[in-house]
This record gives sequence, structure tokens and C-alpha cells, in this order.
Amino acid sequence: MKATKFVVALIIMSVLFTACNAAPAAAVPNSTAETTAAPASETTSPSSGAAAGSPDVCSTDAYGCAVFKPGEVVKIGMGAPMTGGDASYGIDISQGGTLAVQDAGEFEGFKFVLVVEDDGGTAEGGAAVANKFASDPAFVAVAGHIYSGATSAAMPIYEKAGIVMLSPSASLPTLTTLGSAVFNRIVFTDARQGPPAADYLFNKLNVRKLAVLHDGSDYGKGLAEAVSAKFVELGGEVVITEAITKGETDYTPVLSAVSSKNPEAVYFGGYTAEGAVVVNQMQQTGLENTIFFGDDGTYGADFLSRTGANGEGAFATIAPIPADSPEKAAFDAAYLEQFGKEAGTLSPYTWNGYDSVAGLIVAIKSVAVVGNDGNLYVPRGALVSAVRSLTDFHGISGTYTCDAVGECNTLPPTFVVVKDGAWVPAP
Amino acid sequence: MNETLPISITRKGVNLLKFLRPVLGAIILLFIVYRLSQVLFVQHTYGPETWTRLIIAGLIIGSVYALIAIGYTLVYGILFMINFAHGEVMMLGAYTCFFVFEAFKNIKVGTDPVLTFSNAYPVVSIIIAFILGMSVSALTGYLLEKIAYRPLRKAPRLVPLISAIGASIFLQNAAQLLFSPQLRDVANPEILARGAGWKILINGSSVTIPYTGVFTFLLSLLLLVSLYIVVQKTKFGRAMRAVALDKKTASLMGIDVDRTISLTFLISGALAGAAGVMWGIHNSMVYYYTGFIPGIKAFTAAVLGGIGNLPGAMLGGLFLGIIESVGPAALGIDFQLKDVVAFLLLIVVLTFRPSGLLGEVLAEEKV
Repeated sequence: MKATKFVVALIIMSVLFTACNAAPAAAVPNSTAETTAAPASETTSPSSGAAAGSPDVCSTDAYGCAVFKPGEVVKIGMGAPMTGGDASYGIDISQGGTLAVQDAGEFEGFKFVLVVEDDGGTAEGGAAVANKFASDPAFVAVAGHIYSGATSAAMPIYEKAGIVMLSPSASLPTLTTLGSAVFNRIVFTDARQGPPAADYLFNKLNVRKLAVLHDGSDYGKGLAEAVSAKFVELGGEVVITEAITKGETDYTPVLSAVSSKNPEAVYFGGYTAEGAVVVNQMQQTGLENTIFFGDDGTYGADFLSRTGANGEGAFATIAPIPADSPEKAAFDAAYLEQFGKEAGTLSPYTWNGYDSVAGLIVAIKSVAVVGNDGNLYVPRGALVSAVRSLTDFHGISGTYTCDAVGECNTLPPTFVVVKDGAWVPAP
Repeated sequence: MNETLPISITRKGVNLLKFLRPVLGAIILLFIVYRLSQVLFVQHTYGPETWTRLIIAGLIIGSVYALIAIGYTLVYGILFMINFAHGEVMMLGAYTCFFVFEAFKNIKVGTDPVLTFSNAYPVVSIIIAFILGMSVSALTGYLLEKIAYRPLRKAPRLVPLISAIGASIFLQNAAQLLFSPQLRDVANPEILARGAGWKILINGSSVTIPYTGVFTFLLSLLLLVSLYIVVQKTKFGRAMRAVALDKKTASLMGIDVDRTISLTFLISGALAGAAGVMWGIHNSMVYYYTGFIPGIKAFTAAVLGGIGNLPGAMLGGLFLGIIESVGPAALGIDFQLKDVVAFLLLIVVLTFRPSGLLGEVLAEEKV
């Protein structure tokens, strides 16, 4: 009896697993012939391929088409840290994106939706979320991911599935050098963030002895190295470089070692969770008069509430805060009304979140066609090239034109400093 | 010891191990001595102010490790099992501390708009935080034993171990669902403001001895000493030691074994709860994963000091804390490698003293 039960269970499970695998396979290029036989009962998620009314572009497109029956929604994914110490980034950016979806309205009767999944900001989480999105053919684009580590793990998965990416905040310089066809970003990169920070420290703040700390992440370490290189090139001295372990609550030993070198400033490459602890414990380790210089990962309201008075005078480099414009004012008002917070207090990227989702929707609208059967067809390959060739797209943060590798923003960073418990532009 | 292990080792393998162990230990020891002399006498990397800071940090974290390690050692001494959910018991204490201070922060006293209960009656608030934190953790420890370990008392040794790991994962996930996964900042009363402390000037640089740190250190010493007195001098302590020696004989002598075991879990839970509250007060950041790393470290400390031995766990905790904080500086290596240093030292200690710093050679049944 037991053996029979086991065999039956095995068969059921294998059938289930094949079914799961079959769904993403439908999005694989040139699989149109098989997918015409997609089960008719599938109503909740659209099937790919050439149905009776499919336009010609679908048969020639490298990745095939995503098909939406009337009443179905076009899904845009976002993988973001929604929980844990860095959750404010994911929450803020996805809220910006949500507003973009609301503003975009409908396309020929088809609605858009932003689906946010928690990737925890980690590489493992990024890959898991990417697999989830890739297995649902209703996803045509991803506004993300938010963190560089998660993004680099997710990229190959989207590349295979033909899902285009437009990240609002993944700023690791090497991401666009990997030759990915689907990855684009509207954030300024760490290559543009690090060297100006070193320049600011050396020339504006007259720092000659710098201590460099990082959290060992792709992002923090990359940034720390970029700053060190530029600072030494300018003629300054990097007196100590130390890595801290993410997620700890006591960094006094490493800060004591930093303190023994008497640096004039501490540059920290990393995120708020650790940055706030570092700032607080600098007070106990003889570094109370040393400048703390963070990055766009240590900016935000969380940093202020965690550091309190200790955070006074801390610097950060952030994505350029958009100039005042009617669009920005409208966005800020809508954000305040819907989420009860001033835009830009949780993270510096909420406008980027809006822009990246809005940019994706513009691109989708430019390539999508309604077949003569009333279904909406989104050719994936055409969408990938449409985002890559985005030209003079007017977002809230600025005007974006993507280059050949997917860098859509070339503005320098803004410097900010904590003054009287608030982030203000640095002199 | 080898006879009881499920894995059979050939005679030749045992001989090789016996020969290799001291050699390996000696190599590591020589390396440590070499690096130490380089940093201290050749390079003069750090001044006295740095060493003072490192030792202060080590003593504080070490005293928290010691409190948690006691829980491992008590339970091991009596049941010969590792209670891997002990770190989570501590995490619940830390959460209680957060909730108590959050509540007191929001109670206004008198007509003054900024004076809160926790600042008006700081001592009362701290005492309440400790009482509640210790009770919650003690109760958790007690229930843990009732639900997860007691039904498995007669099962093979590995079974309660797996049950403990399961309980640990359960508690972590329960905390994540109940309290949300966000990092929480504990709002201390002003007299224990985080980062404030006595400043002393060494070598022209101010070294802070934080109030929260001194408080943590003294309180954990007090708890450890009182526990030692309870175990050595009271009737209950005698019962506990008797059960630890031999359960069957102890029950023949009229000792209620089940009750003694329950009480042991209550005590170890209460100590972990106190450690959790201290963690909240000193380190502030509390979330569902707070207990995991200190739990593992405290387990290491208990093994280092000789598991089953109370003063050993205290010594092991302080030792581990200091090594972790001073070690990387003393060896002149990256601070990210502090755990490597700590566990390297564990290997060295266990090589020369396999039963830990203060561990006695255990009876056959306990191994």
C-alpha cells in the first residue's frame, strides 16, 4: 500500500513540476509553434505565442510576444528590499513606481500593474524573485532591482526570459559592462559617485588623511575603492582601509583601530543599517570630531532617526535631487497625500522609481500592438531594444537618453549634509 | 570517547589524529605568538588608548556572552543536550525590552509635555524591563522544555538536538511574523543614554567608558555570582547537581527530576532574558535574528570554558568577547576576520585541553 501511495505521489509531483517548467518555456524564443496549443483554460495568466490574430512582429521577434487577453493586466515587476534594515529603500522606490502606474492610465483598454516582491536586497533573494517573475509570462518588464547585488544575480535570468530591466538605483559600475542586452538603469553609477566624493573631501573639506570603511558588499566595496583611488591620486593619504561585517551592532573594535590613525574624515561605503551604528559609535571611540562621509546608501530619514544628535554634520552623496518643476510638484503632492510622507525623506530614489516605471510604460506603449482578435501583443525583443534606445525621455529627475550599454543618466551627484536634524544640500 | 561516536575511526586514523593535533595546535600557536610580537614590539601599530578601547568593548560583549553561555551549560549539564533555541529565548527578552521602553516612552508624566515615564522614573522603568524581559524568556524556556524536549527525553541523543534546531527556527519565524522584520531601536531612559559615558584621556585621546556598558558588565557579574551561590548553597542547587550527576539515583533519593529540569530551564531562560534586555539597552538594534549570532557565540564560549561547568562558561564568555575584539588588532589582520580569530583560538584551546579551559574529564554517560 505504502509503495503504491509513494509512486502515485511521485507521479503527481513530476506532473506538477513539468507543468511549472512548461510555463516559462513558453516565453523562450521561437517556441511559437508549440505554444499555439496552450490550454484554453488558462485565463488568469496570458500565454505567449502566435494565436490566430497575432501580428507579424511576433513571429520574427527574438523572444516572441507576451499575449494579453482583454481584461488582463500588463505586469511590471520590481524586486526590492521590503523588509529588514534597508527596507525604507524598497518601500520608497516602489511607492514612487506605484504613482507612475496610476499616472500612466490604460493602453487600448489594458491596465498596467506594478508587482513588488521582497528580495531582501541580497543576491539570493534577487535570483529567487527573478525566477518568479520569469516564470509568469504576464511580466514584460522589471523596474529594478534596487540593490546592485540582487540586480547582478537577477540579470542572467531576465536575459534568458527576454524581460527588460530599467533599474532606478542599482549603481555598481560593472553592471553595464557585463554585456547584458536587457539591463538598463537611470541611476548615476558609483563611478560617478565615488570620485566626486573624493574630490569633495580633498578640495572642499580640505581632508588630507582619510579612513575608508566598507561593508564588504559589491556596492560598498566598489565605492570605497573608487574613493580611495581618486583620493590618493589627488595627493591625499588613505591611512586605513577596513571592512566591517554586515548586520552587527558593535563596531567599536574596528573604529578603535581607525581612531588610532587619527584620520580627519571617515568615508563609509555601505547602507544605513551599518552606517548609523558606525556614526553612533564614532562618538565612543575618539572620533567625535571626525567627519563622517557616507554615500547614497546612508541617506534617508532612517539614518536621521537612528543617529539623532550624533548624525549632525554627516555627509552623503546622492542622486541629483530633481530641480523644481510642475511634474515634481504634482508628484510630491500625490506622494504626500497617498503615503503620508514627504517625497524623498525615506530614500533619495523615489523620483527615480517613478521615472523608471514611467519609462518602461512609455516603451511598452511604443511597441505593443492590438491584434485583430482583440488581444494585446507585446513583442519582448522589440521592447528590449525600445528601452535601450530611449531618447530624450522626460522624467521627474531629468531627461534620460540611454547609451549603447544601458546607462541612461550621466548627471553628477548632489552633496548633502545633516544640519539641525535634516538633510540639506551641502555648501 | 571514540567508542560512543557513531562514526568508526580506524586505529591508524586515530593514531594519526593524535599525532597531528598537537602539531597543528603548535603551528597555530607559533603563528599567533609571531604576529603578536610583530604588532606589539616591532610595528607599534596601536597606542594604549586603542588597547583600552578594545578591551572595554570585549569585556562588555563578553559579559553578555557569559550570561547566555550559562544557559547552554546548565541545560547541557543536566540533560546532555545543546539547547540551540537558547539564542531565540534571548531575542524574545530583547523584544520585551523594546516594547517596555516604547510603552514608557509614550506615557507622559504630569503636565510637562516632554517628560515621559521612562525619564521621570528611570530606575523603575529599567527594573520593570528586566522583570518582564526575564519572565518572558523564562516562560519561553520553560514551555520550550515542556513542548519540544520533554516528550523526547528517552529518544536517542540526536533527536532532541534536531527538535531544538526546529524550535529555534520556529521562534525566529514567529517573531518575524508577530513583530515584523524591521530593525527596532530601543529607546533608553536618558540616564542610560547610549554612547554617553565617562571619558578618560589616554595619550591625548578620549576613551569613553559607556554607562550602558558598565551597567551591562556589573549586572551580568551580579547575576552570575548569584547563580553560582544558588547552585552551590541552596537545596534546589543541590538537587540540580544531583540530577546532573545521575538522574536515576537522584530520583531514588526523592528528588523530583522533572521539576528540577523545568526549574533549570526557567533559570537559564531568565538569564538569557536578562542578556536580551542588556543587549537592547547597550546595542539598541533588535530584530528577529538578534539572538542567532550571540547564541552561536555563547555556545562557543560554553565549549571553550568546558561545557557543563558554570565558572567555565563565565570565563569562556569573557575570554571569547575579549579575543574577538582584541584578536584582530593584536594579530594585525582585518577586523572582518574576528570570528576566524575566535574560532582559531577555540581550536587551539581544544587541542591542548579537549574538555575546555575549566572542564573536568566527563563521566562516560555524559560524553
